[in-house]
Amino acid sequence: MRVVVAEDLVLLRDGLVGLLQADGFDVVAAVSNGDGLADLLVRERPDIAILDVRLPPSFTDEGLRSAVRARSVIPGLPVMILSQYVEQIYARELVADGAGGIGYLLKDRVSEVDTFVSGVRQVADGGTVLDPTVVAAMVQSQRRVLPLDRLSPRESEVLELMAQGLSNAAIGAVLVITEKAVTKHTANIFSKLDLAVSADDNRRVLAVLAYLNGRST
Amino acid sequence: MRTAVWRAVAAGVALGVVSTLGWALTGGPFWPRWVWLALALAAALTYVGVRALRITPGPRRWLAAEGGLLAVLFPFDLVVWLMTGRGHFWPAYSAAGLSVLIGLHQWWMSRRPSAEEGALRRRIDTLTRSRYTAVDLQATELRRIERDLHDGAQARMTSTALAIGIAERQVASDPEAALRTLRQARSTARAAVEDLRGVMRQIYPPVLADRGLRGAVEALAVDLAVPVEITGSDPPLPPPLGAAVYFGTAECLTNVVKHARASQVEVRFELHHDRAAVEVIDNGCGGARVDAGSGLEGVRRRLSVFDGEVLLDSPAGGPTRVRMRVPR
Repeated sequence: MRVVVAEDLVLLRDGLVGLLQADGFDVVAAVSNGDGLADLLVRERPDIAILDVRLPPSFTDEGLRSAVRARSVIPGLPVMILSQYVEQIYARELVADGAGGIGYLLKDRVSEVDTFVSGVRQVADGGTVLDPTVVAAMVQSQRRVLPLDRLSPRESEVLELMAQGLSNAAIGAVLVITEKAVTKHTANIFSKLDLAVSADDNRRVLAVLAYLNGRST
Repeated sequence: MRTAVWRAVAAGVALGVVSTLGWALTGGPFWPRWVWLALALAAALTYVGVRALRITPGPRRWLAAEGGLLAVLFPFDLVVWLMTGRGHFWPAYSAAGLSVLIGLHQWWMSRRPSAEEGALRRRIDTLTRSRYTAVDLQATELRRIERDLHDGAQARMTSTALAIGIAERQVASDPEAALRTLRQARSTARAAVEDLRGVMRQIYPPVLADRGLRGAVEALAVDLAVPVEITGSDPPLPPPLGAAVYFGTAECLTNVVKHARASQVEVRFELHHDRAAVEVIDNGCGGARVDAGSGLEGVRRRLSVFDGEVLLDSPAGGPTRVRMRVPR
């Protein structure tokens, strides 16, 4: 699997590259700068790009903007954004095109190596992986406009985990319930929120996120 | 103006000529000399007055006017004295009296501070106060950051290092226990990063650096329990001022959520040629005040450092309007 890495801190970049190579990824480019990053992504068409939000030369949200630009040329180009902080507004912008293949995680999640690597693979397969912090904030702030109160506490938990991009089996493992119970909860959630049921994990995440993003599906 | 002057001159000359002709017809002593003298005095005083009015108001104008008056009146007295038969030299008294009056007036003015000086003095007072406020705020802020780092990230990093040390000793004897300790070390290190993130957010919110003031307020609005409408364009403010206005806006929005019972908030950005303003308007219950120790008082202090001000309009029953004005 071909990867492009953009991270300005040498220590973190080398760590990421080492970690990915050890897991059998082929790192085709590891850059420290946001200059021409979007072009590089379009040219290389990696199976996944792992980008830091904040990059030189502007040290603002260069990485995020490069990702959005590259994805406007190649819709659905898988991108995993890493950041020292997560902003709900950035998550919304990233998932807004509804194309999937988006990851948005706090940098320190990398320390959970196995979870991180499987997240990277999931995004490369067109999945969506969002940081729990940002999903919790999205659910919290949408509670006032959306009929989320209709959900039971357990269903709320399941909704948050779905929005993070977890499969039914993974949700079951987190909540220590059977996959069958999870399936029942998700069916309830979809009917309570009037969402079209989808068997496909990726499309299910996108439906949930589009819903949380305040768009009709 | 010019024609008025010429008309006055023409009228004066005509008056002199008429009186001279009148004397030529009636004969007797040459009384029109007094008319000419009065006309000359009027012309000289007008000249002095006009010259003085050209100087900006203040002590220098007074000096020019009073010096000119003395320079006109003393020769006038001399001429009158010469024309009235050079008796006792009385012009000495009038000149001395006028000089004393002028001297007293000048002395009194030199003791009284001018309007300009008063304004400068008030400005210095304001600056001195706001400088103390700045230093005070900064010291408080640093103390809080120091405490947060000490109790949070630093304590957690120490604990992480300790756990790794323990794991090193456990590796040979009890690899299972070493693994458990390492897991614990990792989660403590992550908690330390979480702490640091919180501290950094309070120093300078990253989204403000990324997106500017308007973008940062938009990011804030997304998290808020009340719908926020944002209007106007992003004011280009220097970073420290932008941060102060951002924290001020955040404080206002927090107040709206906590106290106002509002269903709608508007944040309005305004740009004027030398000032920028941010207004937070809610349709809530009103009755907000800038009390000592309140959040708004903190905002006022923080903005005063930059010459900014907070204007509050919040009648009981609402609506509440907080206006933050800062120089650009």
